[in-house]
Amino acid sequence: MKMDAGLLAMLVMAGPAAAQPTERLFVTNEGDNTVSVINANTLEVEATIDIGNRPRGIGFSPDKSRVYVALGDDDAIGVIDVRTLDVLDTIPAGSDPEAFAVHPNGNLYLSNEDENLASVLDPGRREIVAEIPVGIEPEGVGVSPDGTRVMVTSESTNMVHVIAVPENEIVANILVGARPREVAFTSDGRFAYVSSEVAGEVTRIDVADNSIALVKSLQEIDGVKPKGLLLSPDERVLYVSTGRANQVAVLDAETLEIEHAIPVGIRVWGIALSADGSRLFAANGGSNTISVIDTASHREIGTVEVGDMPWGVVIDD
Amino acid sequence: MNRFRRSRVTDPKIWLALFCAFVSCKSLAQEEIVILFVEDEATTDERFWYGASLGVAEANVQGQFLGLSYRLERRSAEVPENADDDVAIAMIAAVSSENLTALAQWYAPRGHPVLNVSLSTDALRTACLDGVFHILPSDRMRADAIGQWQSANPGAAVDAVAWHPDFIRYAARDLNGRFRERFGVPMNSESWAGWAAARMLAEAAVRARSREPSAIAAYLRDELAFDGQKGVAHSFRDTGQLRQPLLIVAQGQLIGEAPVRGVADFTELDSLGLARCP
Repeated sequence: MKMDAGLLAMLVMAGPAAAQPTERLFVTNEGDNTVSVINANTLEVEATIDIGNRPRGIGFSPDKSRVYVALGDDDAIGVIDVRTLDVLDTIPAGSDPEAFAVHPNGNLYLSNEDENLASVLDPGRREIVAEIPVGIEPEGVGVSPDGTRVMVTSESTNMVHVIAVPENEIVANILVGARPREVAFTSDGRFAYVSSEVAGEVTRIDVADNSIALVKSLQEIDGVKPKGLLLSPDERVLYVSTGRANQVAVLDAETLEIEHAIPVGIRVWGIALSADGSRLFAANGGSNTISVIDTASHREIGTVEVGDMPWGVVIDD
Repeated sequence: MNRFRRSRVTDPKIWLALFCAFVSCKSLAQEEIVILFVEDEATTDERFWYGASLGVAEANVQGQFLGLSYRLERRSAEVPENADDDVAIAMIAAVSSENLTALAQWYAPRGHPVLNVSLSTDALRTACLDGVFHILPSDRMRADAIGQWQSANPGAAVDAVAWHPDFIRYAARDLNGRFRERFGVPMNSESWAGWAAARMLAEAAVRARSREPSAIAAYLRDELAFDGQKGVAHSFRDTGQLRQPLLIVAQGQLIGEAPVRGVADFTELDSLGLARCP
């Protein structure tokens, strides 16, 4: 086949840094120790990977070449090649790692749930480079876009611990509603949202002074148990998964008023959003499915069967 | 018996401690908050003490970030004490019915909360004693839970309890793990009640931003949304009873939860027990 010179030039110039997304969803199945790999376009399950014991938190390396998986019962982080789906490594990560956020510098800030610790893992050197004492049952971790702040929730101590990077020291501790689970930053780094599962509320934190800017109860949704938090690409909307209220709430990101509540499966926790914001994927731990939501019409338009007790979901697109 | 001494709100250390409840003041010397733990003189039952001790230890994890420390002071109900040594914010009472009545009659009118962790007697709830808080489920709550279970499972021989060491749902696995690691024995309902009482008192002190016993009592009564690690927030009824899910047990084995799915919604905690004062 004859090749156009321009096309040839493009192919030569395109290296790993310009790799195309795999357009895959990756789902941790806490109950059967697997990761489900789903084609985000066709919704076919492409693979089910045996990953290790009690997988929960999941996330990409900064270049999206690797998927990291927190393996709570293996005290490790599993590493999957996003393209070949090989399990490349299992890195010791301290006791009971539950969730993590990947810093722009490549380090993982992870929560050691049974040790009251946040650990900083350098995956290249396979080394824990810092340990930061936090509250009881640490879980959610968020990194500010500029990388200067990491926030860790402690579920049983009801706090958000603010860690300065690169010092890796706590600079503030913010009391929030009972059982805080996740943290999500705005893209300008000015605010962070926190879900409080037992209090049934969402808090917006002003990052500049670590103050609470707004607290909103979501209890108009019966039995609401907020967990996952995701901003839409235009950041006008905040999606919140509600656990056993079995809905994804759509909030005005400014006022935190509920605009829509989208019924999905049972015990919805992890959520992921397509890059264009058109599709939301939600992990239903009690139904063993991923719900596919059309965000324009605020409806579930399909489901994908996955493994046992799906916990987290991420998308490479 | 001991008397609570009112905290001196003009004390600048207290104001600093309250301020530091909301920003991290690592340089502040720890402000100490005392919680009384009162038990019957002849008791050999350590379960409540274990739970309360774990609760205070956990409160101190939060306290270290706030410049606060909690101390659990163990007392016998019958032993007379010096009157001027207490700044306790509240009392956890693991005592007999007679002793609880005496404690309630002395402390409640003075605005000092008494948390009953040992007695499930319905009469204590229907009495609607102001300032007295009941942590274990009442006998009626247990009966209602059993009734719900039996309406879905006719003829089943079961009991209903506050806690079970094999409970792993929600954050129960974590709490059971912490208790067993600390004490080497399973966590049962009595220990959970001691733990919950200690944790909720610390919660009240921090969120009400006060060490005043009356403010603690008011917070417990009107505002508490407590994470008992059973999946939903626990709060107090006007009877003084802590609303909570119960666990269904058959021959010592955990088999379910109440409110029972299919009979009542998991949020309908008032389907169990006396919902309000007569």
